[in-house]
Amino acid sequence: MLQLLQALAIIVSTVLLFIAFNKLYLKVGHPLLLPILTATCTVIIVLLVFNIPYETYMEGGQWISKMLGPAVVALAFPLYTQREIIFKYKYSILISIVFALCAGVASVFTLLKLSGAEESFILTALPKSLTTPVAMQVSDSIAGVPPLTVVLVMIAGFTGAFLGSTLFKIFNINSAISRGVAMGSASHGVGLTKLKEYGEEDLSIGSLAMGLSAVFGAFIIPLFVFLLL
Amino acid sequence: MNIIRTIAQVGILTLYYLLGVAIVEVTGIIIPGSIIGLLLLWLSLYFKLIKVQHVQKGANLLLAFLTLFFIPSTVAIINYPELLTKAGAILMLAVILSTLFTIIVTGKVSQYIEKREMGQEERKHASTTSSVSHHS
Repeated sequence: MLQLLQALAIIVSTVLLFIAFNKLYLKVGHPLLLPILTATCTVIIVLLVFNIPYETYMEGGQWISKMLGPAVVALAFPLYTQREIIFKYKYSILISIVFALCAGVASVFTLLKLSGAEESFILTALPKSLTTPVAMQVSDSIAGVPPLTVVLVMIAGFTGAFLGSTLFKIFNINSAISRGVAMGSASHGVGLTKLKEYGEEDLSIGSLAMGLSAVFGAFIIPLFVFLLL
Repeated sequence: MNIIRTIAQVGILTLYYLLGVAIVEVTGIIIPGSIIGLLLLWLSLYFKLIKVQHVQKGANLLLAFLTLFFIPSTVAIINYPELLTKAGAILMLAVILSTLFTIIVTGKVSQYIEKREMGQEERKHASTTSSVSHHS
């Protein structure tokens, strides 16, 4: 009973925290105030200050995480309403997604190899641009460390959500397709939370990129490891 | 009434997700259940097995809270104090740089291909509507 109440309290406080920080972000609009950053940091600080283990937090937190599955399914909705533009530019979108996947894997591999990182770290980092559930499965299949992969997946997501729009401005990336494919392939669902601000077209292409990267990545990354390591 | 309808729609989306998970478990494919569920819902919408109004409110609610669902897995970072070592810093830096690189080159390449695809379509269009071709 007590455990149930505790889980409930964790869920309610995380949701309220998110709503409050989201309101603040919508009001001020500064990327440093993205709720994934502010809400997550607040939770971490609370856990550290009160010496609460992550496992205790997850007794409630796991229920929030479980909603990610239906939320990914919900992405079918913008994908359906925007189907005409997707069909129209199918080649641009498909080629760019495969390109992004290769660029992401090759660049993180090269950077880590050059800096002399351990092989288990390299394997752990390879699936970082895929959506969390797939990244975990891929990491497991290539002998990486799945929970650490999740952390790196989140860092890749943060990077896109936080710096993506600045990069779009600097490098003049200004079409819904290029923004959607770049963000969805490099920063998966966390990137999509930022892409949402550009509108439904960006979001639908972003979710398509996220979904297809996951599917292609599940095949390409193990193949890459098999051929190169 | 509206709230009940929205919650019921979230229920429909959850059923699609569970169906996706079940398919993955039975067939053993490596694609995650949520992506299979997404595919099934899209096909159901496309072949009019389900109406847009039956999922629209639920889908918009879940998408509005998308960020929230990532918070618990991100908090897992506290279980990895080794990220604060030099090797951990290099690992994180490599992921950040690789992500920035991927966004830039993909954005540029995609924009280039898109313009070509658009150009080809216009040329096709132009050649069917008029026989005059312009050479410069």
